[in-house]
Amino acid sequence: MEIDREDGRTPNQLRPLACSRNILHRPHGSASWSQGDTKVLAAVYGPKAGTKKNENAEKACFEVIWKPKSGQIGKVEKEYEMILKRTIQSICVLTVNPNTTTSVIIQVVHDDGSLLPCAINAACAALVDAGIPMKHLAVAICCCLAENGYLVLDPNKLEEKKMTAFAYLVFPNTTLSVLPEGSSVAEGEPVEHGIITSITHGVMSVDDYFLCVENGRAATASLSAFFRKNFQQSSSKAG
Amino acid sequence: MVMRKLQLPLSQTQKVRFERAIERLQSLSSSANSDASVIVTDSIPVNHDDAFLKGHGTSEVDGELLATVCGVVERVDKLVYVRTLRARYKPEVGDIVVGRVIEVAQKRWRVELNFNQDGVLMLSSMNMPDGIQRRRTSVDELNMRNIFVEHDVVCAEVRNFQHDGSLQLQARSQKYGKLEKGQLLKVDPYLVKRSKHHFHYVESLGIDLIIGCNGFIWVGEHVEVRDPMAIDDQKDEEMISSSSTGKEQSHIPLETRQTICRIGNAIRVLSNLGFTVTLEVIMETVNLSNSKNIDIHDMLGSEFHVVVAENEAERRRTKRKK
Repeated sequence: MEIDREDGRTPNQLRPLACSRNILHRPHGSASWSQGDTKVLAAVYGPKAGTKKNENAEKACFEVIWKPKSGQIGKVEKEYEMILKRTIQSICVLTVNPNTTTSVIIQVVHDDGSLLPCAINAACAALVDAGIPMKHLAVAICCCLAENGYLVLDPNKLEEKKMTAFAYLVFPNTTLSVLPEGSSVAEGEPVEHGIITSITHGVMSVDDYFLCVENGRAATASLSAFFRKNFQQSSSKAG
Repeated sequence: MVMRKLQLPLSQTQKVRFERAIERLQSLSSSANSDASVIVTDSIPVNHDDAFLKGHGTSEVDGELLATVCGVVERVDKLVYVRTLRARYKPEVGDIVVGRVIEVAQKRWRVELNFNQDGVLMLSSMNMPDGIQRRRTSVDELNMRNIFVEHDVVCAEVRNFQHDGSLQLQARSQKYGKLEKGQLLKVDPYLVKRSKHHFHYVESLGIDLIIGCNGFIWVGEHVEVRDPMAIDDQKDEEMISSSSTGKEQSHIPLETRQTICRIGNAIRVLSNLGFTVTLEVIMETVNLSNSKNIDIHDMLGSEFHVVVAENEAERRRTKRKK
């Protein structure tokens, strides 16, 4: 079903992307990521020696600190921290720096919808900037379901209010992922066909969910291309 | 050598010339079995018939070598690793660094080094102005501002790392210490290669050039290094009194200032183009600007950037022929 959006985009069209890295002086890696008017700043400190309590000392440990634009952090921000931490742990090679802690600080500059995917993309760019070894790049996207059943990708704040259900999806950027041998297939399905992280809010049918995944994966191709272009600019050589 | 997109307005002919120079540089680098730039999960081409060693930033999946970081593939004999192109300085013990004093603290100076933590230069790691080896007293601590104050540019050596990751510096030799009468430039640290010599004296121009491993480069008037122990007390007192009176009067000749600016602009151009900053390349760029009669302020224009890129391509071509 074709739908006119207030900003003139098609349902599967993403907002303009912008990313700049190494913008902060103190962190080991930093990045700013914006999708339309949603802008997030990510900073990575570490790896620093020692792990936190209840963490596996034989692997690298990550901590995520979410800083809202204003005010104190609430339950939603705590949930975002947990989601981000698990996503980062699944995309990073944890055995390279055992018994270390890496801090990822997320500062919300402006929230105009699709905040969590924007933060995941920013964190991924900052981790790359810090030179943290990764299995694959994470590409995050938000998929929404409206009352009359149509799907919208990368909604803004106004559109988010009208939606009945959300799906925050994180995919690996490439078909080849740096995983231990034999683990590139999960339950008979290749990892690249799967998802790193999937968070849903609201009520949606199974068919709608799989439609979200399908549309989301198709849209991440442009995000992956943007990632690649952005990272290759900084590491292109001339001999 | 990292190439940048030139953020300068180029005319159509300049654009064509610049692109041609870049193509030549890239063809030279690829034919020299140079190292490709990769991002996470990119495949690294290796000859599986020969044995190879997996280094940092690589991982083997299904018999294929993949990158786990973004950067440049480097090969040392059989070792294959990915060097991350971080814009940050990654210090090593023994590095010569140039920095700026940002704070005078208790028995120490804090120095800005383009690192994620400030360097610490202890009073005990400094040569005293009188040159006598002795314990530092509270009087020395009170007189710390007579040695360095905030915003002074200093040259030092990385002594070791502290437990919290900050750097300890030392300036125990006559070649280290305060840098005056010159210009401080900042380039990306990966454009500076570690070598035996980071202190250079350009005799023909009377200029001192210190290429810090941290990407801070000092271009200044040549200063004679003198050993204070060799001068007796009387002569020393005379020198101190004369230097204190002549401090305000001492000025750098116009010619020297122009030379400093010319070398500074040459370094800026090389940094903009992403070429490795070495004495050889800097002097070649300076000589090129002189031979083409390019004015100092015109060196930062589009035309000179294109000329330098063309010259670098030609230089590497002749170097390979040899």
